[in-house]
Amino acid sequence: MSYLVAAYVVTGLVLAGYALRLRAARARALRDTQLRS
Amino acid sequence: MVSALVTTLVQYLVSGLVMLSAVLAAAWLVWLSRDLPARIGGARGVGAAALALLALWLGLVVGYAPIEQVQGVVQKIFYVHIPAIIPTYLGFALTAVGGIGYLRTRAESWDQLAASGAEVGVIFCTLMLVVGPIWAKPVWGHWWVWDLRLTSTLVLWFIYVAYLLLRGLAYGSDAARTFTSVYGIVGTAAIPFVYFAVDLAQGSTMHPSNPAREGLPAEMGRTVGAGMVAFLAVFAWLVARRMEIAALEARSPAARAPGALG
Repeated sequence: MSYLVAAYVVTGLVLAGYALRLRAARARALRDTQLRS
Repeated sequence: MVSALVTTLVQYLVSGLVMLSAVLAAAWLVWLSRDLPARIGGARGVGAAALALLALWLGLVVGYAPIEQVQGVVQKIFYVHIPAIIPTYLGFALTAVGGIGYLRTRAESWDQLAASGAEVGVIFCTLMLVVGPIWAKPVWGHWWVWDLRLTSTLVLWFIYVAYLLLRGLAYGSDAARTFTSVYGIVGTAAIPFVYFAVDLAQGSTMHPSNPAREGLPAEMGRTVGAGMVAFLAVFAWLVARRMEIAALEARSPAARAPGALG
């Protein structure tokens, strides 16, 4: 059971972590684009 | 007799739905990359659909998929491991499509599609490589063995991590984009080798054979099919967002995230 939980927790962390990283990068890029325009 | 026929028809329907989802995801991303600023608004709907599909998939894993008799509950890792495969291969295939588009037209948007496909493909390949051993240890007794399927998948991961590192080191120049385009096209040659490695190994591998969902119990086939569609939706949304960031960074190079891959 612990292996099963570990697999799904890792999946959630990988996907959510990457999505949050993209969200932060998008906000940074938008802010910088607006500052330069 | 009739119920067996209905079950078979539903299984073919699920397989068809998965294939259709893969084709639609790829076609939508290519279409999106052609005029990203005007079309990126649709990504929000894809994101919402992805969340709904993930919830449906998790519900099926918990409440619908049966507990396998030999492996027990740990076999449910199957429903993460297998769905991660299609986005991996699709991401790397989009890298080749973007590379060909860039070499033909020199349009930066093709290069952004290639880089985004590679980056998100690496994310799903990483997931597959991490979750696989977590399943293997309790069932087959080993985290990892250096057999043909596992080793070739790791090599595939290294090929595209190297692609992203190359892009990061030589950011922006036409020569770098040309080189990475060719690299991305050549890299896809590894995909069929990885996929058929299990057949090539002829029994000398710990890894199970390529799953023929028609041979799975109906509940398992439908659950893994739902996982594939859900992961494809997540993949499409992530690639769309990654392309949007790449386009913003191209308009304002100083906005490029420190240490960003690609």
